[in-house]
Amino acid sequence: MASFGSFSLIIALVLAAYNLLAGAFSLFLMAQNRPARISAERLADTARRAGIASFIAISAAAFALVWSVFTNDFSLLYIAEHSNIALPGPYKFAALWAGQEGSLLLWAWLLAVYGFVLRLTHKTDVKLYAYAGTILAGIQLFFLILLNVVAQPFALIPGYVPGGPTPADGNGLNPLLQYAEMVIHPPLLYLGYVGFSVPFAFALGALMMRYPGEKWIKITRKWTMVTWLFLTAGIFLGMHWAYAVLGWGGYWGWDPVEIASLLPWLTGTAFLHSVMMQEKKGLMKSWNVWLIFSTFMLSILGTLLTRGGLVSSVHAFAQSSIGYWFIVFLVIVAAVCIFTYILQFSHLQEAPSDHGLVSREAAFLFNSLVLLSVCFVLLWGTLYPILSEFTVGNKVTFDAVWFNRIAVPMGLFLLLLTGIGPLLPWRSTSLRSIRRNFVLPVLVLWATVIACLVLGMNPWKGGVYDRSSFYALVCFAVSAGVLTAIFSEFFRGAGVLMRKSGRNIFAATFLLIRRNTRRYGGYIIHIGVVVSMLGFAGAAFNKNVEKEMAPHDKLDIGGYSMELVTSSQDSNLNYNTEFAMLDVYRHGQKQFEMAPEHRVYLASQQPQTIVAIHSTILWDLYVVYEGTNPDTGQPIIKAYLNPLVSWLWAGVLIIVLGTVIALSPSVKPTAVQGEDSGILPGQKEINTAGGIA
Amino acid sequence: MNSTQGMIAAALLMIALMVYTFWPDNGFAGQHEKTRLEYLLERKEQLAENLRDLNFEFGAGKYPEEDFQKASQQLESEQAQLMIEIDLLQKA
Repeated sequence: MASFGSFSLIIALVLAAYNLLAGAFSLFLMAQNRPARISAERLADTARRAGIASFIAISAAAFALVWSVFTNDFSLLYIAEHSNIALPGPYKFAALWAGQEGSLLLWAWLLAVYGFVLRLTHKTDVKLYAYAGTILAGIQLFFLILLNVVAQPFALIPGYVPGGPTPADGNGLNPLLQYAEMVIHPPLLYLGYVGFSVPFAFALGALMMRYPGEKWIKITRKWTMVTWLFLTAGIFLGMHWAYAVLGWGGYWGWDPVEIASLLPWLTGTAFLHSVMMQEKKGLMKSWNVWLIFSTFMLSILGTLLTRGGLVSSVHAFAQSSIGYWFIVFLVIVAAVCIFTYILQFSHLQEAPSDHGLVSREAAFLFNSLVLLSVCFVLLWGTLYPILSEFTVGNKVTFDAVWFNRIAVPMGLFLLLLTGIGPLLPWRSTSLRSIRRNFVLPVLVLWATVIACLVLGMNPWKGGVYDRSSFYALVCFAVSAGVLTAIFSEFFRGAGVLMRKSGRNIFAATFLLIRRNTRRYGGYIIHIGVVVSMLGFAGAAFNKNVEKEMAPHDKLDIGGYSMELVTSSQDSNLNYNTEFAMLDVYRHGQKQFEMAPEHRVYLASQQPQTIVAIHSTILWDLYVVYEGTNPDTGQPIIKAYLNPLVSWLWAGVLIIVLGTVIALSPSVKPTAVQGEDSGILPGQKEINTAGGIA
Repeated sequence: MNSTQGMIAAALLMIALMVYTFWPDNGFAGQHEKTRLEYLLERKEQLAENLRDLNFEFGAGKYPEEDFQKASQQLESEQAQLMIEIDLLQKA
């Protein structure tokens, strides 16, 4: 399979190169409108087909690698280093992205999948798709060069001759990756990273060809949203993995690789919002172009940080010196973007806008600016150790406290904007309008502040200011205000449909969502964001306690009492494990059992913590087996009580639901539904066939 | 699969993909420049959607009457200008 895989990658490289060159040449011929011996359109179609063929060749290579993992072909260096015979089947898939070469192959394959779908649907707008397909081929070529030259997944073990002996077993998979979510977290994250290539290619292509109008945004909207969804789900799954596997009681530690995944998410989120301004009003064209350019470049930077060995991280499972290749690629991409932008600048001119400072346009711009500011600060904090080492020879790093000090207030401000934006009308806002829309959310916000203080959440308790409690208080209050604002939008819209069609509130709300899936799906996403933010706020009240325990000893935390029943050892073909069995009591009654573990994997001899977690809607009881005291042989147990953690995961489920709704097509109003398109009696009706009736 | 079999399989894959890429098929979709009229019709559709949204939000009580009238007039004026140009281009 090694030779088949290697040759498939060479074939893919040749086809991607042809796709790029033939595609670019045909577009050049058409732009020049010169007669040529070969039909430019025919040439463009062979380029498109080469792109599809390249997908098949990369798929063949990916299949060859997966086959080699499952057949334990340890003549391949990659398989010998990242798998072993006893590795359970699902984790053999995870071996595909456990190392540098495999993860780059995954990147290339996912890009090929996106490109395949794009090239199959090219009849939507043949010329725009030809530009986008050619740009994607350029990105694909870079990854195929890496796979064929510097990170070959089918390289043989040193000194191996065909038919000769191979190692009896491999080194095994990194234990941190031997967790169920790790089978889906990296592919989801990669789908997010890679997926931003598509809107990037469309935006750059539209700029290169001076695409008239904003229809390219409608074409790419679904691509952008799907990509954003994958990245969001990937980030949250990564958090859940860190929470359940790393055993430090938290889910986000401002690790460089965590930040690397957040950066394109921030600019991608800003793009998803501000691009609506361009689509609806023809505004913010330059801004949007640079947002999507930045998002793509930050995705590449994220891959560089994860895979290039630029920073050290618990998440960076493969490190090497290919960072220079990525830096060169980033410089080329930036140069192409800047050159195209300067060349086509006149195409991005827009009519002067007359919107006021308090309007939805201004809210979109403000939201974008804040997201971008957060992104810049995080990027600065992440790259500063590298820059300081390069410039003054001294590596200066920022800790989680620094990141929290900056990111938490900015995040709360973004949360506030989530509530304000939808309430503001387009163009300008009168005082009456502000009163009408904001009185109720503001009242609820202040009522929440008072309720929290009355219930004892006082950041100034005992005369000592507690910043975490203060931020939590602000988060709870702002969340209440934002939820009120969002639900009032639903009730108002449903009210119109109830009056017109006589439906009840539930049927009217359901119809309202179906009638404008984009808007109301977006509001549901905002609800998910609020719920997740409440989950983050719960961290202000985390507690933990550690104790060395003999059998029948008790450990108390937050109303729970844990009794050690026994501690023991076990082993199987893959690992040895030490674990503790704990009975958990509340109000004197036994509620459940917990069994935290500490494993040592046989192939790699690496340790791994398996945390025991009991989740409720209010808090998580999180128990870690820290090891044994070498003097007494007794287990050391650390227990955490983490409030509202399950809200984080519930929030992301709501975000997924909202995105799926926003991606669904809206239904058109019909006479059968018993209501019109929202036009009230006496208002002018739009005759979409020919103007205003 | 040994090395020789792998190379034969890869060679067959290469031939199949080359045939697919360069097969003389003239049924491909042609490219064309988007016309000004096509652009204006897209814009008209967008303005109609903006006006529908505005009407709906007014119906939902989000805008006071005078704000709604002002925003509505601006959109309608924009739409009227667009229609004049569309008519001219369609006649031409």
